[in-house]
Amino acid sequence: MEKSSNWPKNKIKALVNDEEGILDAQIFSDEELYQIELDQVFARSWILLGHESHIPNRGDFFNTYIGEDPVIMVRQADDSIKVFLNQCRHRGMRLSREDSGNAKAFVCTYHGWAHNIAGELIDVPFEKEAHCKDFNKAEWGPMHARVDTYRGLVFANWDQDAPSLIDYLSDATPYIDTMFNRTDGKTEVIGGMQKWIVPCNWKLASEQFCSDMYHAGTMSHLSGVIAGLPEDVELSADMIPTQGHQFRAKWGGHGTGFYLDQPGLLTAIMGPIITEYMSASPAAKAASKQLGSEYFGERLFAQHMTIFPSCSFLPGINTIRTWHPRGPNEIEVWAFIVVDADAPDEIKAEFRKQNIRTFSAGGVFEQDDGENWIEVQRIFRGNKARKTKFNAQMGLSHIANDDPNFPGRMTGVYSEDAARGFYTHWMRMMTEPDWKTLGP
Amino acid sequence: MSSTFDLNKLLETSKIDPVLQQEIEQFYYREALLLDNSGFEEWSKLLGEDLRYFMPIRRNVLFSSRSKADAVSRISADDEFAHFDDDIVAMRGRVRKLLSDYSWSENPASRTRHIVSNVIINEGNENGSYQVCSNFLLYRNRLEHQVDMWAGQRQDIIKRSDNRLGFEISKRTILLDQSTLISNNLSVIF
Repeated sequence: MEKSSNWPKNKIKALVNDEEGILDAQIFSDEELYQIELDQVFARSWILLGHESHIPNRGDFFNTYIGEDPVIMVRQADDSIKVFLNQCRHRGMRLSREDSGNAKAFVCTYHGWAHNIAGELIDVPFEKEAHCKDFNKAEWGPMHARVDTYRGLVFANWDQDAPSLIDYLSDATPYIDTMFNRTDGKTEVIGGMQKWIVPCNWKLASEQFCSDMYHAGTMSHLSGVIAGLPEDVELSADMIPTQGHQFRAKWGGHGTGFYLDQPGLLTAIMGPIITEYMSASPAAKAASKQLGSEYFGERLFAQHMTIFPSCSFLPGINTIRTWHPRGPNEIEVWAFIVVDADAPDEIKAEFRKQNIRTFSAGGVFEQDDGENWIEVQRIFRGNKARKTKFNAQMGLSHIANDDPNFPGRMTGVYSEDAARGFYTHWMRMMTEPDWKTLGP
Repeated sequence: MSSTFDLNKLLETSKIDPVLQQEIEQFYYREALLLDNSGFEEWSKLLGEDLRYFMPIRRNVLFSSRSKADAVSRISADDEFAHFDDDIVAMRGRVRKLLSDYSWSENPASRTRHIVSNVIINEGNENGSYQVCSNFLLYRNRLEHQVDMWAGQRQDIIKRSDNRLGFEISKRTILLDQSTLISNNLSVIF
């Protein structure tokens, strides 16, 4: 007998209240909600897999995940990218068991089913002797995802009916471009990816990068700032600005926040060389021109951003990561570093050095984010704690759409409007199966 | 390009004076004592101005024959993403963070235990320097019941010094025996 769901749609809708700014803590810990998420969110959204420069040449592959599904991302002969499930259709063995590399074929190590780099089954051992005459290899390759790219970032989506990536990104693209479109020369990765496990719900991480400058402007990263101060300088309250901006996408749950004219903040995190490059150098001036506005270019600092559901990045620090869910109580963080491809070698080396110092797993800022998230998650074991109604009311009364310099729905930098947008979109994805109503 | 020591050189029969072997081992035990007792300020005085504290990322790569299974293909290169790549300025800042009241990932403090063994020493390329390998098991327990464990090898270049413990660390390359990190952060010193 089929078990009835604990979560009819009206109950899910009640978990997120956009108008009043209230979140029900059950969204972070309920096991059944998580299973619905895998189906309705991760299997229907554009998920960041990596960067084009992770797989520059034909046959280059990079193994990653969409949700909990392992996928192989492969550069094709015609320069396109294919993404397919890393699972043999015979009995389910992982087809590609290493992190990345270059392949001429993917041969399953269980029974030898061989696939070309396009993810098609091309050879089966003892086919004549063992398989029936109706066996058609073309029907037995792994499932493929849709692939699309934006400014070098490679995304994939299992859902054939989902909007295109560009439609999905909605009006958030100018805020993505601050990191990925500063120069015609495009971006490239500093090689490799860093992966680490954090026992927390993926939404805690996604929301923070979407909407939470507040934690950086208050308590969480004081010691990260201290780590970067000159030896004879002490921390002081006037290092933290009170004014800034937050943007909430009109569709899709994406959000970002930043300060204007605060190069000192970037210096506190990335040091003077990067700050000069991002704010005063010819490259910075060129970026303002490329982006169409100095407000998006040389004057914008300390930006945080999330593309729903699980792609987050920090322009200027240039860390970008996918939060891969591993149950309601755990994530794998897969992070990489991106730089302007035409930046001088010393700048690339400095981005690498400062990024590792600040926002890698051992980074003097990142360490403390991990501490917050795991403590929050541990407490959700509580019978009362998991049903708490959280306050997400910052910026409720300050919403505006008329900033002359920043298009879209804006509030102040210490706001939760982007978070409310994130969770509202989450709630819609969880309750609206039809893109006709859900779509942008 | 690899920063790791040559395995064949490490495997040669030791020509190191037993007294020196003991001196260096004792140095490592006292270094561990500092790190396990929040002696970070003291520990930072053991570091050379030319410090490179480097932990490359380990990767899972198929090898085509046993003889080609060398470390280089399985660790990140010098210009790729790494877990740590601090110079002395960055490391001093890291120590300053550890000493601050606001370092939430380490306040309350972790309880750590550095277990160091398998110390193998060779003469270094510079006069008076030594190439030293040591294995470590670093156990961390924090708050109510969080446990993390890291195992690996440190490959150091050390020199005699008039500092408190008698040697200065000028290079430390840490080969952590994990690819995906099985901890929520790396807020400890290896």
